[in-house]
Amino acid sequence: MTAITATSENGVRTSAFARLREALRGDDALTTAWGAVIVFVTPALLTYAAFTAYPVIRTFWNSVHIIRPGGRTEFVGLDHYVELFSNDDIFFRAVSNTLTWAGVAPLIDVGVGLLLALCLYAKVPFARVFRVAWFTPVLISYVVVAILWMWIYNYDWGVANMLLRSVGLQEWQQTWIGHPDTALWSLIFAHAWKWAGFNMVVCLAAIHALPREVLEAAELDNCGWFQKLIFIIVPMIRPTLVNLLILAFIGKMRVFDLVWIMTGGGPMWSTETVSTYVYKRAFEWNTFDLGYPSTVAAIWFIVVLCCVLGLTWLFRQRDRLEY
Amino acid sequence: MRQTRSWIAAAALAGATLTGAAVPAQAERELTLWSHWADHETKVAFVEKAARELESRHADVTVKITWYQKNPLYAALQSALRAGQGPDIFYLDPDRTEYIDNGLLLALDDLVNWANVFGWARSAWQHDGKTWGFPLEASTVEWYYNRGLLAQLGYEVGPPHFQLSQADFRALVEKATSEGITPIVQGVGDRPYPGAYVTHELLLKKLGKDDYGKLLSGGLSFKDPRVLEVFGYVEDLVKAGAYPKSFSTLKLGESHYYFHTKPGGVVFPIGSWYTSRAFNPPDKGGQPDDFPLGMMNGPAMDDGACNACKTNNVAGSFVVNAATAHPELAGEFLNILATPEYGNLWLSTVLVQTGIKADTSKITGPYSDYFKTLEAVNENAEYFFGTPLQFFKGKCRETFEQVMNTGFPAGLVDAGTATDMMNDGCFTG
Repeated sequence: MTAITATSENGVRTSAFARLREALRGDDALTTAWGAVIVFVTPALLTYAAFTAYPVIRTFWNSVHIIRPGGRTEFVGLDHYVELFSNDDIFFRAVSNTLTWAGVAPLIDVGVGLLLALCLYAKVPFARVFRVAWFTPVLISYVVVAILWMWIYNYDWGVANMLLRSVGLQEWQQTWIGHPDTALWSLIFAHAWKWAGFNMVVCLAAIHALPREVLEAAELDNCGWFQKLIFIIVPMIRPTLVNLLILAFIGKMRVFDLVWIMTGGGPMWSTETVSTYVYKRAFEWNTFDLGYPSTVAAIWFIVVLCCVLGLTWLFRQRDRLEY
Repeated sequence: MRQTRSWIAAAALAGATLTGAAVPAQAERELTLWSHWADHETKVAFVEKAARELESRHADVTVKITWYQKNPLYAALQSALRAGQGPDIFYLDPDRTEYIDNGLLLALDDLVNWANVFGWARSAWQHDGKTWGFPLEASTVEWYYNRGLLAQLGYEVGPPHFQLSQADFRALVEKATSEGITPIVQGVGDRPYPGAYVTHELLLKKLGKDDYGKLLSGGLSFKDPRVLEVFGYVEDLVKAGAYPKSFSTLKLGESHYYFHTKPGGVVFPIGSWYTSRAFNPPDKGGQPDDFPLGMMNGPAMDDGACNACKTNNVAGSFVVNAATAHPELAGEFLNILATPEYGNLWLSTVLVQTGIKADTSKITGPYSDYFKTLEAVNENAEYFFGTPLQFFKGKCRETFEQVMNTGFPAGLVDAGTATDMMNDGCFTG
């Protein structure tokens, strides 16, 4: 292993770590440690600037221009924003669908994940098998999940309708992803199926990390299983649940893959999400302009950011648990 | 003297080096082509043959073809061309005029021998007085049908018009539904246009070519009484159960199988490129060997301005990247295709019409009867060139895809709402 070294004023070669330690001790040393700090931080900063900061800034810049191939741009000021808010019904349809998805699906994902984790924690029979089975969908790509669920939802030979027919409920048969009333919920269900396993694993880890003495004390106090869940387990893993909810929320606000493959935003825009709409505007509307899609993306970036900050503030831990 | 010889030797060495360097540079000449049709074996073979012919003419040239499905191809092209990259030649449909508007294509007027290309096919690619694409594939909208099922339902079509009346066609739909047979096979699961075939072909017959052209160009309202009448008629068909229950999710390939194999249906309106899938062996998705394929024209509308009208459409074409380093090679490749031999080869192997001048009478073999029927059905046809997608852009196109292609034929919106939405998206007054 090669240590990063430098020669100090008195000619003694010291490692960068040592110089950093020195830097933290006093002002003079701190000044001389900047070199090491820059060496360590610059690669990460450059990567962040190139692949995160620049695209975000560029999106905002694009949003006030018409962008054509070959670097041809035309400044249009806030025209795209005015058009978006005054004359774009599809955008508001997409916003409505996305907010529905982001509002409902995290609760389903985390709720189901927590229930599955509790099942495993309670050591149901074949728990090991279930743990693998429930986690497996997380490992499957969206493309495969989408195709799988398109088969399940197929009107003629899909499992969903076959089950209904087999129990005499053929009048309940649906074109699940072909009708505006059922399409969005069918996609949300498929999405929840994929992600419940991830939430299960995280919840299970959090439950296992709880101090046994607290749970045992509750049992000594004749606390029932349900009371233990409501009054001890859930409050104690609350930070984990909040983080999962926020992560799920962010994911749902950006949902694209599953929708694109299964419905393409249809029928009649009933599953259109902001992400699919941005993609359509950028690549499918027979125009090479990236300005307007950037406007949609910029607005949505602000919305997601505000929502995340709001949720974090709303769910902040006011009282620190001590155990 | 010795010094002179040294200079000569040095010059010779430099020359040899330069020549040596030049030869590998020539050998590296590569013509790149990106094309749709990854799963169309006969089209792949056709294009590959032309590529190999170009390579055989130039020892230093390699033609590298990348095969895609259509949607991934367009996504790849959008990214590559925006970045100033992209292949020398690529597949494009004539409705993608944004490539022309943004200066991404090379005009082909002086590169291609147009004497061997039909004028109507070339015109599909003419904008601002220039020709931008080579019209390889052409098709008419045909109404294929199962002769056995049609006879079973008590109907027959034949010369000279090969079409039912408006009332008879509705009765056919109702009768088929009552017998548990799907009257019109169609699916829009992966394409933005098949669901609108019936509506736009009937609109063409009702309005005639001029007014239909105005409708597609935004100059005629979708609230025009004749348009409303057609939408009302199609709504009746939809309510009578014309389309499969799985209409919204049925994919194009699946709809072929649905029509000719299982569960079967009476009529299948589709581009005449039906054959490129259906005439494959049955184990590759083709129709059964004994399938009783028939062809009719769409129903004659009452008081129709042009009941002999039908859509003729240039589809798969090749265009040349404006930034290509090899325009002459690209032109030579297209000129290999622009010969009667290749036109006949396309017809006899791909079994779809082409913009290249070809002679259908020279086609022999098991599908010669098909082409005779195709000619008979089209004998009195008056063509309107271009599908709605070639006219619609932006919000109008999106509304067409969601409403005329999906929502309306699926019965999700009625005729009044559908025409309101189309007007909102397309009518410019």
